[in-house]
Amino acid sequence: MICCKECLDLLYDYLEGELDQETTKSLDEHFEDCPPCISFLNTYKSTTALCRETLNQVEIPEAIRDNLLKVIKEQKENN
Amino acid sequence: MSFSQPKEDKEIEEALVRKFQGGDLEAYDKIAEIYQKKIYGLSFNLTRNQMDAQDVTQEVLLTLFRKISMFQGKSAFSSWVYRITLNASYMKLRSKKKEPNVSIDELMPSYNGAGFQQEKIQDWSENTESLMFTNETRDVINKAVDLLPEKEKVVFLLRDVEGLSTEKTGEILELTVPAVKSRLHRARLFLRKKLSNYFEEFSSRKAEK
Ligand SMILES: [Zn+2]
Repeated sequence: MICCKECLDLLYDYLEGELDQETTKSLDEHFEDCPPCISFLNTYKSTTALCRETLNQVEIPEAIRDNLLKVIKEQKENN
Repeated sequence: MSFSQPKEDKEIEEALVRKFQGGDLEAYDKIAEIYQKKIYGLSFNLTRNQMDAQDVTQEVLLTLFRKISMFQGKSAFSSWVYRITLNASYMKLRSKKKEPNVSIDELMPSYNGAGFQQEKIQDWSENTESLMFTNETRDVINKAVDLLPEKEKVVFLLRDVEGLSTEKTGEILELTVPAVKSRLHRARLFLRKKLSNYFEEFSSRKAEK
């Protein structure tokens, strides 16, 4: 059985589906027998999802949007 | 987990750029409309400051207007825009006092001699729902991302937050694909650890009640 370190080092490629069949299988087998690694895998995936969702919530405030429009308009007029 | 730009969008965008290069100002408005949220979002996530993000967005939009003739189409237009945005954001950051970075290595997983995990790993992935949209959680996530060293942070923002492909991220940052992957993996490990501390503390807080 491969060890936790080998699994976690390959986690990125494993989730991207970029490992060959044999390696994927040995990771699958490790995960079946290793609750800490399953927890690690689940929380690794959640981390990405949570961060993406949170950081994508940035909206341009109305006042800033207006300023930007003004700047663009001026630039076009001076052109 | 990557959503690269759909082919149609790319074609529409290239057509807009050519029109604008030919002097069509309406095409510029559309380009600005498509990009201003991306430019603002990325620069805000890097600088964490509304005024800085506004300055950067303004500067990038003006650069696109004035220097469109310099865009040669050797790489994707979006890559060019992202690169200008990153440069402008870094200029802002450089003008400020920087807080020392934490060492990312301390937060990597730890193993025993046989390569097995030493820590107790709690699976909090099922319990994030109720916490997801609280201000406290948002703060924790934002702070954790802020603590990432710059090299890892920018890869994380482009790849995981903007949703660009590994290849495109590499193109923008002039990094090889393996370098992008390894920085992203380190960023995710770091963030996972930071969020774990928070969610584990939260569940023990709840258990005490
Ligand atoms: Zn394991």
